Amino acid sequence: MEESRSANNGGVFRFMKSVVFFFEAHQPMRIRPYRMADIGTNHDYFWESKNREIGQRVSEKCYIPATQVLIDNGIKASLSISGILLDQLVAINSGSLDVFKEYFRSGLGEPVAETYYHSLSSIWNKREFFYQVNKHRETISRFFGRTPQTFRNTELIYNDDVSKLAKELDFKNIITEGTDKIIAYNTPNVKYSSVSGLNLLLRNYKLSDDVSFRFSNHTWNEFPLYADKFSDWVARSPGDVVNLFMDYETFGEHQWKETGIFEFLKALPKELEKRGISIKTIDEFCNENPKGNVLSLPDYVSWADVGRNLNAWLGNDMQREAFDLLKSLENNTNPETWRRLQVSDLIYYMSVSRFSDQEVHDYFNPYGSPYYAFMNYMSVLEDFRRTYSSK
Amino acid sequence: MFTGFGDWAGMKIAVIGWELPPAFSGGLGVHTLNLFSEIADYIDIDLYVPSFKGLKGIYKFNVIPVPIEHGIAGNPYEITSFPDFYESVLSYNEQVVKAFDPKDVKIIHCHDWITYLSGLQLSKKYHIPLVVTVHSTEFDRSAYFNPQRRIIDIEKMGVIGADRVIAVSNYTKSIVVREYACDPDKIRVIYNGVNKDYYISGEKDYELKNRVLYFGRLTSQKGGKFFMETASKVLKVNKDIEFTVAGSGEQSSEMKWMAKEFGITDRIKFEGFVSFRESAKYYRDSDIFVLPAVSEPFGMTVLESLISGTPVIISNTTGVGEALRNVLKADYWDTDLFSEYILYVVRYKSLRGTLGSLGQIEASRFTWRRAAVQTMGVYLGL
Repeated sequence: MEESRSANNGGVFRFMKSVVFFFEAHQPMRIRPYRMADIGTNHDYFWESKNREIGQRVSEKCYIPATQVLIDNGIKASLSISGILLDQLVAINSGSLDVFKEYFRSGLGEPVAETYYHSLSSIWNKREFFYQVNKHRETISRFFGRTPQTFRNTELIYNDDVSKLAKELDFKNIITEGTDKIIAYNTPNVKYSSVSGLNLLLRNYKLSDDVSFRFSNHTWNEFPLYADKFSDWVARSPGDVVNLFMDYETFGEHQWKETGIFEFLKALPKELEKRGISIKTIDEFCNENPKGNVLSLPDYVSWADVGRNLNAWLGNDMQREAFDLLKSLENNTNPETWRRLQVSDLIYYMSVSRFSDQEVHDYFNPYGSPYYAFMNYMSVLEDFRRTYSSK
Repeated sequence: MFTGFGDWAGMKIAVIGWELPPAFSGGLGVHTLNLFSEIADYIDIDLYVPSFKGLKGIYKFNVIPVPIEHGIAGNPYEITSFPDFYESVLSYNEQVVKAFDPKDVKIIHCHDWITYLSGLQLSKKYHIPLVVTVHSTEFDRSAYFNPQRRIIDIEKMGVIGADRVIAVSNYTKSIVVREYACDPDKIRVIYNGVNKDYYISGEKDYELKNRVLYFGRLTSQKGGKFFMETASKVLKVNKDIEFTVAGSGEQSSEMKWMAKEFGITDRIKFEGFVSFRESAKYYRDSDIFVLPAVSEPFGMTVLESLISGTPVIISNTTGVGEALRNVLKADYWDTDLFSEYILYVVRYKSLRGTLGSLGQIEASRFTWRRAAVQTMGVYLGL
């Protein structure tokens, strides 16, 4: 493999190292506090005011200014905007859609496909999964005028089966997490092939988390993080590519603008360039590099929690009971609502994982506790069952 | 971690208490026995208590029974009860002052208003620093309904006069600061522990038992009436559930009357007073324990239930709740929400099991050893 690589790609180009940015832009439609007494009488499940408030805030603090920084500084990135977020941005009319459009039109941004509803459908229902991915791909093409070539599953959930599904849907590239177990034998810093023959990139979690989690952590011994220091780390990280995959909300929402995150982002291209490193999209990097070694990943991985598996969603009995009930309602007369209820966040809020993960869960949890999230969701599903399902 | 008392060798702590199991085993008694059994591993303790009839047992600390002359039933050396409680408290404090041996005493540690008067007097007389622990205030015990002025005055004197105040929760600390204008900087919050050996017996299976438990005194403080209201709301939706009321107290007849009024007498079992020894069985045999307390400074029963593996629903005004994640909470008066929670817990095994097993792990972190280490830290800080 090494040999064919050099043969195909001799010269200076081959040795130039890249940074590949992938950002996930997503906001769930949260369900509102829904009481048992609402069952049978109230079919309005979604927390309109809260969703609007968060959508507006994130647009103003992150989507608009961060995308403007990318445009102004010529920063390339692959960007996945979930369908459920697109729906909300259209409703809010906050101006972020226009900035996204401009970014994709400029050629700097690569639109990435996922399940429209940011769901767990890949792990249980192929037909449903295909429907949701196709709907997302078509919607993205219609909105932004470009058809995604790269697929990324919800929260980078991946195994060999997911790669086969993506192959059936004619995607060229796919990405996932470089978990400790994977990178013990395979550097995340080169391109691989999935068992289904797609280009496969692995997230460099150490360097990604330095930005997304640790950037403003005063107790971190590397605080404060500047673009020059970070670029040194990238330069020292051996391999062809450093894959920096993270929530788009890192910029301005998780890390507020007061932390200097935007200045960091602005300064990064020049600092990387000084060290001979260029920023590329997933598709661009994959096109320029020869086919990689086949990497088989039979077990599920994801980028969530310390476990980097499915436990953030299906780790406890409440989550499994809720997920089973959701699945059982497939035959219904209101598929759009059923699909919106599939958004993985609603089950993620029920996670009771321990230690540092709990803080992450609490940060995102609009209900204050996994138990209230469970009760809320089950009541909504119960109403849905009675109202729209033959079951 | 606690590293010892160093140059306090040969010194001791004088504790002025009130209850001591097996003679009486209310929350204060359980606290006294467990906490000072731990501290006795590090330093000598003289514990002053009324000379109860049943006061016998082998203790790790030195027990000094104090005969009380007024307000008691039985004779001063074999007290059986306190027909005039306030009178007996005054008498007890006078007798403690008389019986007190100041030799080598480094700290005086008092527990609740029933011991403050002697503590204040002795501290002043012998120039010994005073620590008082607030297990509850008159505002909690009265549920803010006609609190007794004379008790409030003693509580205020105690916390103002003490060198350090230990509160059993931040909730209680805030009451002490608000009602008694106590300097918040001299208050330390130390949570009670729970002795898991009494309560854990194998793994709970979380199969449905259709049984909801109330365990505690039947007083307005504990919110027994709200429990009855909750029960009647639950039974309108699910008639299979049985409610057990374990405890006795002034609201007993009112709660029974409510059961009749709601027409739910066949679904409510009044068990009367349940001893500490029998309590584990009650927790074990219930799907959920409910405590809609109007004002509960800590709530030992919450930890007892959790350590048994039985999930709990508590009011937002239950102190220990501030330190617990794996419980359900509502305002004490919100019986709609209390009843909803019960119905959810009964309906979903996954909810019972997750709340119960994680609650058990969480409760096991509340040890008397930890409380003892923190208490000794308070002593050393003086």
